[in-house]
Amino acid sequence: MTDYFEVHDRDGAARVGELRLSDSLRTPAVSDDVLSDAGSLWPADRDVPEGDESALTVLPHRAFPGGTADEVQEAFAVDYPDVDYPSAAVVSPDTAADATDANADAYVLSNAQAIAGHAQAFVAAVVRTREAIPPDTALYLPGVATPANAATLAYAGIDLVDTDRAVVKGTQGKYLTTDGEQFLEDLEELPCACPACQRSIKEFDRGDCVDHNVNALRAALGTVRQRIRRGRLRDYIEGQARHEQWLTAVFRRLDQQYSYLEQRTPVLRRAEITSATEDAMRRVEIQRFAERVTQRYRCRFDNPLVIVPCSAAKPYSESQSHGQYHDAIQFRGHTLSMTSPIGVVPQELELTYPAQHYDSVVTGHWSATEKEFVADVLEAYLQRNDYPRVIAHVPGEGYRDICERVEDSLGLDFEYTVEDHPTTTESLANLASTLSDELKYGKRERQHNTLRAVADYQFGEGAGDALFEDLQIGSRYPKLRALDGDGEQLATLVAQYGVLSLTLAGARRWVESDAPTKRVEIDNFVPHGSVLAPGIVDASEDIRVGDEVVIEGPQAFAVGRAAMSGPEMVRSSRGIASSVRHVEER
Amino acid sequence: MSKPSPDVYEQGKGMDAHNSVMRGIRARKDETYDPREPTRVWLDEDNTPSGVYDSLTIILNTGGCRWARAGGCTMCGYVAESVEGGSVSHEDLMAQIDACLDHEAENAEEPAGLIKIYTSGSFLDEREVPAETRQAIAETFADRDRIVVESLPDFVEQPKIEDFTTQGLETDIAVGLETATDRVRKDCVNKYFEFAEFERAAADAREVGAGVKAYLLMKPPFLSESEATTDMKRSVRKCADVEGCHTVSMNPCNVQRHTMVEDLYHGDGYRPPWLWSVAEVLESTADEDIIVVSDPVGHGSDRGAHNCGECDDRVQRAIKDFDLRQDPSVFEQVSCDCERTWEAVTEREKSYSMPLAR
Repeated sequence: MTDYFEVHDRDGAARVGELRLSDSLRTPAVSDDVLSDAGSLWPADRDVPEGDESALTVLPHRAFPGGTADEVQEAFAVDYPDVDYPSAAVVSPDTAADATDANADAYVLSNAQAIAGHAQAFVAAVVRTREAIPPDTALYLPGVATPANAATLAYAGIDLVDTDRAVVKGTQGKYLTTDGEQFLEDLEELPCACPACQRSIKEFDRGDCVDHNVNALRAALGTVRQRIRRGRLRDYIEGQARHEQWLTAVFRRLDQQYSYLEQRTPVLRRAEITSATEDAMRRVEIQRFAERVTQRYRCRFDNPLVIVPCSAAKPYSESQSHGQYHDAIQFRGHTLSMTSPIGVVPQELELTYPAQHYDSVVTGHWSATEKEFVADVLEAYLQRNDYPRVIAHVPGEGYRDICERVEDSLGLDFEYTVEDHPTTTESLANLASTLSDELKYGKRERQHNTLRAVADYQFGEGAGDALFEDLQIGSRYPKLRALDGDGEQLATLVAQYGVLSLTLAGARRWVESDAPTKRVEIDNFVPHGSVLAPGIVDASEDIRVGDEVVIEGPQAFAVGRAAMSGPEMVRSSRGIASSVRHVEER
Repeated sequence: MSKPSPDVYEQGKGMDAHNSVMRGIRARKDETYDPREPTRVWLDEDNTPSGVYDSLTIILNTGGCRWARAGGCTMCGYVAESVEGGSVSHEDLMAQIDACLDHEAENAEEPAGLIKIYTSGSFLDEREVPAETRQAIAETFADRDRIVVESLPDFVEQPKIEDFTTQGLETDIAVGLETATDRVRKDCVNKYFEFAEFERAAADAREVGAGVKAYLLMKPPFLSESEATTDMKRSVRKCADVEGCHTVSMNPCNVQRHTMVEDLYHGDGYRPPWLWSVAEVLESTADEDIIVVSDPVGHGSDRGAHNCGECDDRVQRAIKDFDLRQDPSVFEQVSCDCERTWEAVTEREKSYSMPLAR
């Protein structure tokens, strides 16, 4: 049971946590002031210290530095005592899993020096260790943090660091910043406004350099914590990590560890996603959207498909250009927006995270990778959805190349309606006349299809039909309400995220339907407002932060929104696991 | 609440693991050596209880250490100097001695007063050096003043020592004690004997008029810089209290080929000690009533004790100067910007954050 560490905010593998000492510490942070080392068992036997709540006590340890043979690690592994004060256990990636019996609040990784600077080894070690230790424990990477790598360490899942390397570098006359390091003698001026740098460069000595480095590290961690709270660490990393190659390699390699990141990435966020690099395409949010659109979503319209370019304004339907397309299409075609880095967005999902939450850098130029990604998504989409006609109302550069590539690949014939630019009078007239013989779909059909499409996307293939067999609509787009045949409310479309929030009746349908239900099994109590991790008996493996969940126990049936992943709910002993929207006593 | 398990000690599990890993590492090397050539021979000067002598140092190739065959010490690569078949005959050993005498005749103006014979094992182990050979070597060097022979303490027996003392040689047994801390010797170095055995050997040697020279190893694997320094200071003081032990040779661990230390070094988990740490130990134990010398092998290189690269030769010179004069003020003459880094490392490095600086 973890008593002294709690995770408050999650952003992918990164977390803002709280080390609950007598003076609590917000992580990611430097641990220098709160650490109390009980010492190494290599040179001497040590008593388990008294310990108290003022410090995180590193239990007597035998550390295995980089290069320690497996056999030696097995033979010399320490059985850590289970103590009732804040404690940390020293582990290597190989010994971490066996060290969790002592229920330490934090784990110290003993081969940090061996993995820092080596992206492949670093990612392997951190992922392995993080998966082995409980989610509500802090992971401390000693001796390697710098202002430049702090954000990437946190992004990978590190909660605690120290000032050791910053200090050592300072004594060597190396001046550290978030963009790297420079020799003091190469600096013409001090590019920093911290207290240590409030003097002339001539007077600035190595002692000052130590102070500056520590200040810079602390400031970098402050930026990281704030980024995590805002759900925007990845956007920062994509820019900042580029100053050191190994850091860029770390986040790219983490993208390859998709299941590690996916489990920790929320299904919805308030924050915007900045797409300023090609790395953005490999983000979990983007990949997950493409996967769901091409594997869960199914088009329910019988009308022709109209492919249009995305717009900068979101949701698309509120943009000027899409207003013009709409006026030309007049409910005679099903609109699919083509966009980098998202891929394709069917009109029913224009609100759904991250379709209205991203902003990309627009130059009009598409890179080969962008084209390939969007073409792959469009191709998969068209393989799954049959349309009587495909009309491509897209401009020449990029969009047209992609359409032609997909046409060739699938043996389809698209009808192109754009001359020069999609919003010219001529192009719009072409679009309107191309559709002139098509029938319009009604408002009811549009609303039903929207709710069902969101349900498919959110709950799984076919969920829209399973949940909303006898559907009536209340309210107006975008805040649609789903009612059953008797007028009882089942769900509401949350305009901000484009997902459904269920009522108890909706939750009951979900449980009874064939759609895979995400369940949280709780103890014998009635939750109000939220469910805390210790009350959880079991939870579906595939629950992600932001997912709708059904909460069931001997005394209660409830529905809410997950604040942790399923595995985190099961393995955590602290923290809010889920909000509770509606609850009913049994 | 339970205490950390002492299982490792009860079951000998740690030593089994070390030996098994070391056997695997040693199996990587495939060189063999000519049994009629000594491993190394060189001329030097040495500080002894009877003053500074010119010395002839011989590393005899005896087929290697018995303990190393079982796996052996985590830092020791000298077993790589083994011969095919594992043992060297009396004739071959005497041929090696002749080669050393030739080397001395060619390079020294007069015969050295001090002879030092090492075997990378135990000269007094009769499986390495038969009694016949030991006696013949004693006779060969009967005209010198002093002799040092290397041995693990278990092979130190009075009749063997008397082979030398009866030739009128001031005799010292060089014992690779490594550290006075039994736990470090066992778990970090993987040596099997205890300090009490060293004390026994010293007492026996003293009874037959011989002395003991303790070899200490600074910074075996798994110790931080400060733990290593503390261990050495304590070890020097404990040796000074052992009657019969008049000299300590305190040597920083270097990274030898085909050793566990080398694997850790390649795995970014080991750095040899700083020369500043060596100087610190020598300086702080200078008041002890015992000669303390140090010979940092490969100083200034990544694989040997080193500082920043700028000051290594200067600090090494001060150490060599200290060896001969035992005057701690030699260290006041050297300084470098990197002392600040060394201080930070000493203060901050933990065995779980090694090495903090390269």
